[in-house]
Amino acid sequence: MTTTVPAPPAAETSIGASTAARGSLAPRGGRRRRILLRLLALVVLYGLWEVAARATGNPTFIPTPGAVWHQLVQTSTTHDGIRGYSGHLLIEHLGVSLRRILIGSMIGVAGGVFLGVVMGTVSWIRVVIEPAVTFVRALPPLAYFSLFIIWFGIDETPKLWLLSIAALPPVAVATAAAVYAAPTGLVEAARALGASRAQVIRDVVLPNALPEIFTGIRIAVGVAYSSVVAAETINGVPGIGGMVRDAQRYSQTDVVILGLFAIGLSGLIIDALLRTAENRLIPWRGQS
Amino acid sequence: MPSAESGGTPAIAVTAVEHSYGDVVALGPIDLTVPPGEFLVLVGASGCGKSTLLRLIAGFERPTTGTVLTGGVPPIPGRGAGLVFQQPRLFPWKTVGGNIELALRYAGQPTDGVDALLDRVGLHDVAKRRTWQISGGQQQRVSIARALAADRPLLLLDEPFAALDALTRERLQEDLRSVSTATGRTSIFVTHSVDEAVFLGSRVVVLSPRPGRIVLDLPIHLPRTGITPDDLRGLPEYAALRAEIGHAVRDEGTSARARSTRSSTSNR
Repeated sequence: MTTTVPAPPAAETSIGASTAARGSLAPRGGRRRRILLRLLALVVLYGLWEVAARATGNPTFIPTPGAVWHQLVQTSTTHDGIRGYSGHLLIEHLGVSLRRILIGSMIGVAGGVFLGVVMGTVSWIRVVIEPAVTFVRALPPLAYFSLFIIWFGIDETPKLWLLSIAALPPVAVATAAAVYAAPTGLVEAARALGASRAQVIRDVVLPNALPEIFTGIRIAVGVAYSSVVAAETINGVPGIGGMVRDAQRYSQTDVVILGLFAIGLSGLIIDALLRTAENRLIPWRGQS
Repeated sequence: MPSAESGGTPAIAVTAVEHSYGDVVALGPIDLTVPPGEFLVLVGASGCGKSTLLRLIAGFERPTTGTVLTGGVPPIPGRGAGLVFQQPRLFPWKTVGGNIELALRYAGQPTDGVDALLDRVGLHDVAKRRTWQISGGQQQRVSIARALAADRPLLLLDEPFAALDALTRERLQEDLRSVSTATGRTSIFVTHSVDEAVFLGSRVVVLSPRPGRIVLDLPIHLPRTGITPDDLRGLPEYAALRAEIGHAVRDEGTSARARSTRSSTSNR
């Protein structure tokens, strides 16, 4: 039982080196060109903004980039005894919102993955729950936020409920579809090795679904981001959405635009982090 | 014709088995008894039901009529047989070693035997590699090691070398022959290749085109040890067996085509 057979010959040498440049259909040197193009686009956008602001001559309609920059400095410091905006620095507004998004997304993602696995493996549950998930997905978050306010008041709880419920459907749908479409070949391979049903789900179905689950998570975080302004409509300060709503009431367009930039830029950073995590956690994506 | 060892439970007993997919009869009726330790090769044209028969023996399908027993009991996937598929079907989220480790864990065996199993199929220093970083031939070796991990009495191989180039296929045949001789476990190997059948088998069964029936059941009495593969292939008996099995496969194919032509002509 311990007989050793000859080592595989050179004809079977590994092909690992060929995978170094995987997923790259773009021509070489494209990265530098992309950065230059993006910088150029930013400069053009800045110019257009400046021209539009001067042409309208109405800072309440379109404030100049300089005015927004001034607000960035004002809201990030204590000046004349006033701390930031509404007593909180910009970074604190952003931090509170990010915390809400993080907690809401985590609850939504955990619930979505659980629901997706159940929907993907038990057909009668899928038949019952799928229309409900699609129903919730179609609702605008503000529509059910009123209900949460009635149920849970105006503190943190309704905001977290809103973000959780908004984040859940994309993950549930993506997970259910991937679990349902688990490749028969790999499932059979695991069963042939003696895996139980639970082991097949844990060791084959879930890892195989990870790429789709991650796509669902990125969409869910995006939905939670777009819902945070709605969640902070009521009693939202501190919070970037609350700051934007507050500034809108007083027609402080420069603060509104600053808030939008803060939300958008932090969204870009979070998405980049998620993509990095995805590449690290799912190195087999795109491999045969 | 080989038969079960008198008095002992056969490793595999297929009795009056027919199998259909909807209205299409894929296989049978077939009777086949495989004694322990035999290396049986199933040969036949595409679609003749070879893989269906293997899936029935593995327990992935239940026969439409008749019975299949392995070790005296109806087969259950993952219980009595290790299975190697045409494609390696490795789990890409696991390393090479991780794939073997998983198989050992399912079999309730200690997981420190990974390197020994890889050694047995001729692989060294690949345990930490990703499955897509090794060649197709190496992947199929890993798949064989994974099937051997559970140390089950049966090893079922469904055209495992079909997708490989000729050189790699020949080397893997030689290695599989060594492993099979060393372990002495009962094996069923499905192939299209007559040469592969004679080289590997201690018994060759030829199936007719669909619905697959046994048209030739031939014991192979060739030396399995103390002879190089080239010398084995050079033996006159080897050539004679190849010719006999080749004729059986070709004749059945010709008869099936003739039947098909007659049938379509009479239907016009």
